[in-house]
Amino acid sequence: MRVLIVEDEAALAGQLVAALRGAGFVVDSAKDGEEGFYFGEEYDYDAAIIDLGLPRLDGMGLIRKLRAAERNMPVLILTARGNWQDKVKGLEAGADDYLTKPFQMEELLARLNALIRRAAGYSSPVLEHGELKLDTAKKDVRLSGAPVDLTAYEYKVLEYLMLNPNRVVSKTELTDHLYEQDFDRDSNVIEVFVGRLRKKLDPLNPIRTVRGQGYRFFSDRDV
Amino acid sequence: MKAGIQTRLFFITTLVLGSCLTLAGYILDRSFKASVLTGAEQQLRLVTYSLMGVVDFVDGRVSLSAELPEPRLNQPESGLYASVQMRESVRAWRSPSALTSDVPFPEHVLAMEPGEFQFTEVTDAAAPFYYLSYAVIWGADDGTVLTFTVASETSAFERSMQDFRRNLLFGLTAVLLLFVAAQFLALRWGLSPLRQMADEVRQLEAGDREALSRVYPAELQGLAENLDRFVEHERRSRSRYRNALEDLAHSLKTPLAVVRNALSTANGSNNGSGSDLVREQLARMESTVHHQLSRAAVRGPVVVGSTVVLATLVERLVRALRTAYRDRSIDVSQRIDPELRVRGDEGDLMEIFGNLLENAFKYTGARITIQATRVAAGIEVCIDDDGPGIPEHLREDVLHRGIRADEVQPGQGIGLSVVAELVSLYSSTLSIDSSPLGGARIRLVLK
Repeated sequence: MRVLIVEDEAALAGQLVAALRGAGFVVDSAKDGEEGFYFGEEYDYDAAIIDLGLPRLDGMGLIRKLRAAERNMPVLILTARGNWQDKVKGLEAGADDYLTKPFQMEELLARLNALIRRAAGYSSPVLEHGELKLDTAKKDVRLSGAPVDLTAYEYKVLEYLMLNPNRVVSKTELTDHLYEQDFDRDSNVIEVFVGRLRKKLDPLNPIRTVRGQGYRFFSDRDV
Repeated sequence: MKAGIQTRLFFITTLVLGSCLTLAGYILDRSFKASVLTGAEQQLRLVTYSLMGVVDFVDGRVSLSAELPEPRLNQPESGLYASVQMRESVRAWRSPSALTSDVPFPEHVLAMEPGEFQFTEVTDAAAPFYYLSYAVIWGADDGTVLTFTVASETSAFERSMQDFRRNLLFGLTAVLLLFVAAQFLALRWGLSPLRQMADEVRQLEAGDREALSRVYPAELQGLAENLDRFVEHERRSRSRYRNALEDLAHSLKTPLAVVRNALSTANGSNNGSGSDLVREQLARMESTVHHQLSRAAVRGPVVVGSTVVLATLVERLVRALRTAYRDRSIDVSQRIDPELRVRGDEGDLMEIFGNLLENAFKYTGARITIQATRVAAGIEVCIDDDGPGIPEHLREDVLHRGIRADEVQPGQGIGLSVVAELVSLYSSTLSIDSSPLGGARIRLVLK
């Protein structure tokens, strides 16, 4: 999951980046609205965390510009004043949730996960596909009730595919969303992860290869 | 309240005009009377001269040498009488008109010097008369003095004076009424800019208008501009204040967030009690900062205020909250007259309703109703939910001291106490009740 953080306070931005990376997110950080817009327009994000009080282009303006540029990732706004006028305006500008500073990092992570899940059309934190259950909150995967032992990267691949069901996801997209930028795009590590996942999820085989294009997670759910 | 400018001007000008017209009427009446008297005297003089032309005085007796020139002197009770008297004799000549009526010719005129005219007005008698007497030495030889007196009843003159008075009164009254009407219209027209300004200031107060219109006469233009500048200044200083608060909030809360996060990251490696103390103090700082900033941000009821359409405000909040609480399927029904306006600052009202509605969203099961009705005390708004409700013994605490009724979902205590403070600033009331839906009912009565 790739997340954009736009926060001008260096210390807080550093903590957010660290906490999100710790939780397995790929993070880009921008220190003002204009930079935030550059990142947001240039790359594909699964979510964005935007502070309302930003230099150069304020958070409200940034959200409007992103939405106008058809960037539809869920946006969580951080507001220092926490007054309702700001919250309502932020949500009307296109944000999806708000958090008042100071906040608990755990709460931020929970909200962020919920936003990403909601954007994929899931209302429960547990993504289900037949006998396969993926708990996004606990980062726990079960097949017919039995825990499936996955590495962090295997989990990330499965979660991303399950959040984008019935859609062809290219290898490039997967690396973009799951790895920091310096990742070697030519390596076949994704193929290795998918291969291991298939083995671990046997006999269920929800991940199909679309030759020359990427992978597709088959789900009976309508999204 | 003092009498209006229009009333004052109207009163004083009417008073002055009334006195002027009364005085003018009095003077005109006097002049007319004087001219009537002069006319009467003139007329009597002419009669006297013509009488003198026909009178003969032979052997102490008065006789007529010809027909009397004035026919009225021959006609009995005609109102015009004449007499000729001698000093030595009481017996006098009287005109035929005076023979049948007892005309009281004055006696004292016999003492008049020859060549003297005397005009007398007797008005107090039953039959008032004007008299003109003229003493003359008749014949150069014996020096007999004859006194001619012509008397005329005053009624004809009185009548003309009464006619004049009636006309005068009628005319002056008409002038007064016309003037009063003109004055009234002139005042209305002349003072209409003031009335317009008063109306516009009222609209400004109610928030129906942003500034005064620019079409005032020169005398008021300055005042209107100053008023506009004042309103604008107030608006600007409020927004400056708000920006300053925003900066303050940002620069206080962001470091707090950093410290808190640093603390929880360090928690694993650090040993217990010291960081617990720091965390506890940090929480106190956070809640103080939050609470005080929320209080400082309150604008309160304003003189040059605004009104807010309640239904729109609530709709915006509900839409925002639905976005934030997308996971929950909550049925929100709103029964608020779309025309209903609430007086107050939009930010304050959003704070009140935002906090109340967010609580409803947090604690409800599946339904929320919001309804507003006009009551005697103002506007009553009820927010109902079908959640667990608030136990009766906790209701006062929740409202007045901001103690959390439920530790599970933090943030609520501060929210409600800020709302309670805001509400009391607007001299409105907030109370908690049980909802017919099964949960809590928050009842807000806005003045």
